[in-house]
Amino acid sequence: MSQQSTTRTLRVNGEPQQVAFAVHHSLLEVLREELGLTGTKHGCELGECGTCTVLIDGKPVLSCLELAAECEGRSIETVEGMMQGNELHPLQSCFADLGAAQCGYCTPGILLAAQALLAENDSPTRDQIVEALSGNLCRCTGYHKILEAIEWAAAQLRGDDQYQPPDSAIYGDPLPGKQAADV
Amino acid sequence: MKPFKVALPGSIEQASSLQQSFDVPFIAGGTDLLARIKEYITTPEMVVDLKRIGGLGEITSTDHGVRIGALVTMNDVATNLQVREGFPALAETIGNAATPQIRNMATIGGNICQKPRCWYLRHEGYTCAKNGGSGCWAREGENEFHAIFGNQVCAMTQPSNVAPVLVAYGASIEIQSNAESLEKREVPADQFFLTPEQDPTREVALKPGEIVTAVLLPAKNRTEKWSYTEAREKQSFDWAQASVTVLYQRGGRRGDHRVVLGAVSPAPLRRADLEQIIAAGDLDADCIQALQKKIGEGANPLSQNGYKVPMLRGLMAKAIRKLNGEKKEG
Repeated sequence: MSQQSTTRTLRVNGEPQQVAFAVHHSLLEVLREELGLTGTKHGCELGECGTCTVLIDGKPVLSCLELAAECEGRSIETVEGMMQGNELHPLQSCFADLGAAQCGYCTPGILLAAQALLAENDSPTRDQIVEALSGNLCRCTGYHKILEAIEWAAAQLRGDDQYQPPDSAIYGDPLPGKQAADV
Repeated sequence: MKPFKVALPGSIEQASSLQQSFDVPFIAGGTDLLARIKEYITTPEMVVDLKRIGGLGEITSTDHGVRIGALVTMNDVATNLQVREGFPALAETIGNAATPQIRNMATIGGNICQKPRCWYLRHEGYTCAKNGGSGCWAREGENEFHAIFGNQVCAMTQPSNVAPVLVAYGASIEIQSNAESLEKREVPADQFFLTPEQDPTREVALKPGEIVTAVLLPAKNRTEKWSYTEAREKQSFDWAQASVTVLYQRGGRRGDHRVVLGAVSPAPLRRADLEQIIAAGDLDADCIQALQKKIGEGANPLSQNGYKVPMLRGLMAKAIRKLNGEKKEG
């Protein structure tokens, strides 16, 4: 069967762009293949893993299960749009500083899910962060550093200079008989 | 994925006329349909997108209760104040379902029309009574998550978390089409979800061309004392293995209780015999014991899902403790 093509104006990271694509393609495919925005990752493709998470009208959704043809007129945000000028978004810098990524494949989706949470709630509890990330799988980190990085970024965003992540978050758990600062 | 065309009708009439048979599926949130298309379980030439149709995306108060448009997302249903105050079990069950991302995409209309999670049905290599063949592979095969009640023809379980809650509240499903003989009709939730005995090929009472346009929650059934409990293997992105919905003195009427079991039968299973036990006594240890003794009656477990009977007993006890406001889990 021949493919049905369409041309739509998609507003990605604040910038409207005309883009032509096959009408059955998902937003994930169009972002990566037509717009070259490969920060959004292909994962399970079935809605289970969350690594393809983007924000549509501020809400985290799965770009693998969203038809791009449906996205005209809506605000699409990807990880490429998180930087503010030349500055990393606090979530990004906290993830980097704490080593809250190992292979990094899940990171873009988690950053966006966290960004949506912090836009609604600037001081989320640990439970609220866990709930907000319950649609994002990470098979490397065990999530601890991710949760700590989000708490730290939340503190920075609300201007809480006093907040410091625990030493163990920065240096890892101390070796037996040593203080974290000595390691 | 096999390429397909997308029709974007602007009205219910147009959308309806585009679906001459179920080979042309409707799409709303897409979280179930697109996953099935990617796995070649469904290979349509065209899908009919309902999202451009106006008037289906709002929650409104009516004289009779709350009307939830079919395109309202699960998340918007669960956070809506009228739903949370009047029909809290619905918000509770949605909070348990899927993931935050999926709840932002999936619609209430699509949720009640989703296809069963049976792994034989969702495998392109199998045909059964549901999709053009005969018999049920799960009955003699891998059936860990399948039905323990009403599983003689087909052992699917109704995958919608909200289905048993809608039955408990006496909700109605508003359906429209452009065919003169069908027009707009309201189907009570307990008649909307079909058993395989009624029709093994359909899970819900929709004919080709018919579109779910709203879910109607009757104000007369708002209930103060309620509980919803469910068990699942994973906390996130999983389907219930069993659930128990209890409405105590539904609508404030003494003696009007509802007990509906979910995920243990092809359609939500209302249990009048359990409701009578609740009506007959106090919500005490004796009541819990009587309910636990009765709840497995009529069950016909398959080779791998016998655990669902004791699971239901546990959920039933938990449900009554929750009704009593007890925090103890168990």
